[in-house]
Amino acid sequence: MNAFFASIEQRDFPRLRGKPVAVTNGLTGTCIITSSYEARAFGIKTGMRIREALQKCPKLIQRPARPEVYARISTGIMKALEAITPDLEIFSCDEAFLDVTRCQKLHGTPVRRGKMVKQIVFRASGILCSVGIAGDKTTAKFAAKLQKPNGLIVIPPWEAADRLKDVPVTQLCGIANGIGNFLAQHGVHVCGDMHKLPISILGQRFGNLGRRIWLMCQGADPDKIHTDVPAPKSMGHGKVLPPNTQDRQTLVTYLTHMSEKVGQRLRKNKMEGQEFLIGLRTLNGWIGDRFRTKVPTSDSRPILQLSQFVLTNLWKGEGIFQVQITVLDPKPRRQQMDMFEAQDEVRTQLNEVMDRVNEKYGEFTLAPGYLINRSEMPNVIAPAWKPFGHRQTI
Amino acid sequence: MKFTITRDALIRPLQTVSGIVERRQTLPILSNILLRISGGTLTLTSTDLEIEMLAHATADKATDGDTTLPARKFLDICRALPEDAVLDVSVSGERATIRAGKSRFVLSTLPAAEFPGIEVNQKLSQLKLPQRGLRNAIARTHFAMAQQDVRYYLNGLLMELENRIIRMVATDGHRLALCETPYPNEIDKNQSLIIPRKAVLELYRLLADDDGEVEIRVGGNFIQVKTAEISFTTKLIDGRFPDYQNVIPKGGNKSVICDREALRQALSRVSILSNEKYRGVRMQFASGLMHILAHNPEQEEAEEELAIEYSGDDLEIGFNVTYLLDALSAADSERISITLTDANSSCLIQGVDDKTCRYIVMPMRL
Repeated sequence: MNAFFASIEQRDFPRLRGKPVAVTNGLTGTCIITSSYEARAFGIKTGMRIREALQKCPKLIQRPARPEVYARISTGIMKALEAITPDLEIFSCDEAFLDVTRCQKLHGTPVRRGKMVKQIVFRASGILCSVGIAGDKTTAKFAAKLQKPNGLIVIPPWEAADRLKDVPVTQLCGIANGIGNFLAQHGVHVCGDMHKLPISILGQRFGNLGRRIWLMCQGADPDKIHTDVPAPKSMGHGKVLPPNTQDRQTLVTYLTHMSEKVGQRLRKNKMEGQEFLIGLRTLNGWIGDRFRTKVPTSDSRPILQLSQFVLTNLWKGEGIFQVQITVLDPKPRRQQMDMFEAQDEVRTQLNEVMDRVNEKYGEFTLAPGYLINRSEMPNVIAPAWKPFGHRQTI
Repeated sequence: MKFTITRDALIRPLQTVSGIVERRQTLPILSNILLRISGGTLTLTSTDLEIEMLAHATADKATDGDTTLPARKFLDICRALPEDAVLDVSVSGERATIRAGKSRFVLSTLPAAEFPGIEVNQKLSQLKLPQRGLRNAIARTHFAMAQQDVRYYLNGLLMELENRIIRMVATDGHRLALCETPYPNEIDKNQSLIIPRKAVLELYRLLADDDGEVEIRVGGNFIQVKTAEISFTTKLIDGRFPDYQNVIPKGGNKSVICDREALRQALSRVSILSNEKYRGVRMQFASGLMHILAHNPEQEEAEEELAIEYSGDDLEIGFNVTYLLDALSAADSERISITLTDANSSCLIQGVDDKTCRYIVMPMRL
């Protein structure tokens, strides 16, 4: 999609059309999540602070993000795209790969197919997108970025290596500084340099990922379309605090809030976890550690107990700026039974009722009393958001 | 201090004691072993502050004294020397020189006085057991010990000394192994101790499968095991083991009897296609017949059918296949009996001809 969140704002509020718009996390947020093309013309970028952006573009309009709306529209687009092919990989909330190999006869030439995608997306959402068509995922993503907004570029497989030849390797999706530096040390700066390097060197250093990168740079990314959301390695929630918070009660409230969110998310996905990462960010880095509960859980109470342990034993009254609670390696719920730890039936039933009320009437309609004074900071939609599975969360 | 010893006489005791030396150390002296010569006998000692191990060897041309040498380097040198080598070791100042044939090595030493020992001078009770019996009891239970469980008392083996019975129990909360060994003599006082996991595994490695005797000494917070060659001391876990008697199923009304090896093989074949992470298998019991099914996330499937002696109601129950395989491998009996209650209760596995060991496995929800 082209400037997805900003485009939605412009779609819904006609007075924003043709104007520089920046989306932030509520009006209290200072970091730009995304901006419209009109704003980008002033040099405004994602991640920039509002104050800096206003210097570049005094007429910039700040809009609070509406993650629920974006999520709904994204879900609608992805659903509509299934009309083209079920071989659909949702890459992020505004990016998707479609493998049309199996429906070539049905949809005709690549250009015709591309136009169809653009039409379907526009009909589903009322906003424009860019389409790249190629023989592999990396080249297709590269092609989609070539012409924005509202682009349609086709790179046939037999032209891919040649078209990527002069592109810096770090411009390809999946090659950031780490791998980029390694490649630079070996004299590979643009994709065309790659064939000089034996594949084994990348294989030795990065394993299969390295071998994939070697092929990727030559327009032959072997990666398939992943239609399912892979099982989570971790799930976490964090929040930025009023700077330099030293009040224990405030910290408890924030940590309860995050424990509750992690617990709810585990339960929603029928999972549970035993290892939790509890972190408090100070000026000098993070306080906290990994902790284990007695048995795997999806209840917020044992998670909160671990947080209380951090506050009592590791926190020495330093000013805190951010809290984070992450469950590591969550597993499907309660498969293996334990001999000595009977499940707390009362808590299980309580959570079940609470989840059902909140499902119907909205997040935290029913919540622990501690949360009455919780942060009013709005929820944020993560770039990795997906319309189903454990990533469907804001 | 000075001594001469053949490589042959040194390498076994040296290898044995080096087993507990951790690769990475906070205290430098813990990567060393203590060498003490007294009356022609060389005593090697190693420790990790929890376990202490002693082994002896006979040396020639020895002058009494003690020192400590880096365990791994000393062992690597011995290993690398030719089989018939004779080592001349002499210590002067902070250096130890080892000569063997045309080879010469100089190792740095640390003072023997700084070598930490484990205090064992408390009230002791003593007993003697055949080595094979002790080894067997460990072999048939140790696999069920927990590993890095928050419930620290599960990361070890419970040893109960009762009148005429020595009982070993290990559990990780998901399964439990229990083995009772008869003891011919009176024990003056019932005792119950938890031996830490590392010590159990080390002890299992040390004990030989022969008729020799071991002498066991138990103190308030340690246990000492002595064979002809070695002396092994470990501190104990100070904790309360859960009440395992309570989880041994009593009212199981469904009794299955089948061939142990046939079931073990069927399970290990099915396990190939079970979920690699959760290892779940589905077992269906019907009159005279058992079905075992497994499938993985790729939707690949395995199914086995096995004739059994069973005449109760049909039952379907899920288990972690690894737990069942462990129990079946440890049970020493041609035929085994499996006692079940329902899909949410534990099962009891026991050899038909051998009632000394019992295995309990909690089911998985299907």
